[in-house]
Amino acid sequence: MTAGSVSKRSMQKIQNYLMAYAFIAVPVLSFVVFLLIPMVVSFWWSLNDYNGLQPAKFVGLQNYIELFTKDKNFINALRNTTSFVLLGMGIGPTLGLLTAILLNQKVRFLSIFRTAYYLPVMTSLVVVSTIWVMLYNQNGLFNTLLGSLGFEAVGWLSDPKIALVSVAIASIWQGFGFETVIFLAALQSIPREQYEAAMIDGASGVQQFFYITLPALRPVLAFVYIYGIIGSYQIFDQVFVMTSGGPMQSTSTIVYFLFGKFQDLRLGYASAIAYVLFAILVIFSFIAFKMEKE
Amino acid sequence: MRTKKVLLGIVLILYMVLSACGAQPTATPSTAQPTTAPNTEKVTITVWDYYGEATPIKPIIEGFQKEYPNISVNYEALDWDSTLEKLNVVMTGGTPPDVVTIDMTWLPKFAALGAFADLNQLSGGKLNNVAWKDAYTAGGLESITYQNQIVAALYDFDVYALYYRADLFEKKGLSVPKTWAELKEVSAKLAEGDKYKYQWLAETFHGSQWIFENGGSLLSADHKSVTFNAPEAVEAIETYASLLTDKSAIYWGADQGERIQGLKDERIAMFSDGPYNMGIMKSAAPEMAGKWRIALHPAGKQSGSYLGGTGLVIPASSKQQDAAWKFIEYAMRVENQIGVYKYAGAAPALTAALQSPEVNIADPYFGGQKVFEVFLEAMKTAQHFPYVRQWSDVDVAFSQAMEKVGLGQMAVKEALDEAAQTATEALNK
Repeated sequence: MTAGSVSKRSMQKIQNYLMAYAFIAVPVLSFVVFLLIPMVVSFWWSLNDYNGLQPAKFVGLQNYIELFTKDKNFINALRNTTSFVLLGMGIGPTLGLLTAILLNQKVRFLSIFRTAYYLPVMTSLVVVSTIWVMLYNQNGLFNTLLGSLGFEAVGWLSDPKIALVSVAIASIWQGFGFETVIFLAALQSIPREQYEAAMIDGASGVQQFFYITLPALRPVLAFVYIYGIIGSYQIFDQVFVMTSGGPMQSTSTIVYFLFGKFQDLRLGYASAIAYVLFAILVIFSFIAFKMEKE
Repeated sequence: MRTKKVLLGIVLILYMVLSACGAQPTATPSTAQPTTAPNTEKVTITVWDYYGEATPIKPIIEGFQKEYPNISVNYEALDWDSTLEKLNVVMTGGTPPDVVTIDMTWLPKFAALGAFADLNQLSGGKLNNVAWKDAYTAGGLESITYQNQIVAALYDFDVYALYYRADLFEKKGLSVPKTWAELKEVSAKLAEGDKYKYQWLAETFHGSQWIFENGGSLLSADHKSVTFNAPEAVEAIETYASLLTDKSAIYWGADQGERIQGLKDERIAMFSDGPYNMGIMKSAAPEMAGKWRIALHPAGKQSGSYLGGTGLVIPASSKQQDAAWKFIEYAMRVENQIGVYKYAGAAPALTAALQSPEVNIADPYFGGQKVFEVFLEAMKTAQHFPYVRQWSDVDVAFSQAMEKVGLGQMAVKEALDEAAQTATEALNK
């Protein structure tokens, strides 16, 4: 082995490394530029009184303290968002699972049903929200139906007691098709033999569901809930289009509230809200990951 | 492995949260000084126009470029809905356009942050050779003045007057109400079941009008304390709310739809709004031509209205402020101001344009009425919202109180006191 061949091999090695680094450079750069730097900058803003036009003033944890001790509107938005998540996650996946179980029977025109349920998921949230505003309208379909049955019109979006529920219903309708399709795919991957064996052992339909179907769906359930919770906590479009956070802030959510602070150029405060939301989602995700592991 | 998964999860969540927040790069405060471009030097100015298709800005560009061949205009058509968001981004990013159309209700925040150039300085104290104070009404001039600087050129103005169904008034033998007492009486006689009502809106634009009409205000003159819960303000909102308890007004919430629908199905027979609304009615409800008229909104102790509209501004960090000012001055010429009415159907802010024979015409849609005379009269007593950094907090608190009152959730005094406490906390920050 000569010194020349060693040096040639080293060069080759370096060239290979360079090639590998060149390939990963693009995603790494995009991660650094579009994620890491904004994350760090945003965190720094959250510790400052900053409006983007004047120099930032360091205030430490003041923004966070103000959020939880003085800002009633933030607490209200936090409460509303949590209620929305509970409503959405309580009904959405359950509805999706029930629909998937029904579709998993030997139904004719299965693909038509599947498409029909999935269609709202592909439709823009703004379009869906606009349609639901029309349905909820004082003279819209729902109130017309109620009227024809002799009931009084309901202020679906103007009654602070039910406006959030109205927004949640629209969101569930828009999203449960996604859950249906995911659950249906998971259901169809459960081996038929397990059900046949259970039937031979005399297991009832309910027992089959709880002892075969549900355990088999656990990873999918975890996936649906993780993404559902993360998505629901970030609800914005529906509120923006349907209620603008009203009436009486009863549908104001965290991201809608945060958007308002950005619009008001309170960038430090808005960043603090973003980090609070981030912390909430980390906690939920941690729980979900833990559940998935078990 | 588990740590990696958790980390990946955290990164993904943060990415989603930050994407939703639209994180922006760190901005540098604007320190750019206006440059004096010699006439021969070619410069380009960027003009943001939020008027949409009915723009009065676009048609003047050709004439401007003929007159100023060294200034080319990079025209960008936007819409009202997204302009504020975009403006926030470019202002904080330090790359603003040179001329921007802004809603005057956005001015408090930007003015308080020193975001716009002083047009008084750029113009040498005159707008097209007319002193600023002579170009506008007193209210108009006050609306563009902040701490002795002129921060915008008021381009079109918005003040509220009473739109009413003249055909129904005639049918029922009713006279146009001039006072609150008359309004209560007339609206009670006009309403029939769910029809022909006064539109009740729970927000600051309308709530403040009633307060101004009773000699009240939203904040004290020094903007340090809240006055929208003072006795005259409480009395004003109580009178406004009594229209609901009388069942002669209709509470217009999110599920009532667009107002125009309420005009068409006749749920609304009276409402208060600005001149821009005339264009909406003409295009969306041409079949109602001749049925509506406009009058001064009934007065309490005095007449009153909020004053807003569209302003032309030059961001303080614009590098072409001289050229931008030339564009604004050109847009503010009387003949170009007339285009505000001609193209956008809105009210030109210059008194001379408003009184010109092209604008001050008998409008057939409103039964041959010279409608701008009404708005010009309303402008005399109108006042803009306070230019204070915490304006949006005050606005939200007051609007929330109005909703509580309108929905019957709280008594007027209680709701306004509660909102005043929230607004005071915001002002003291």
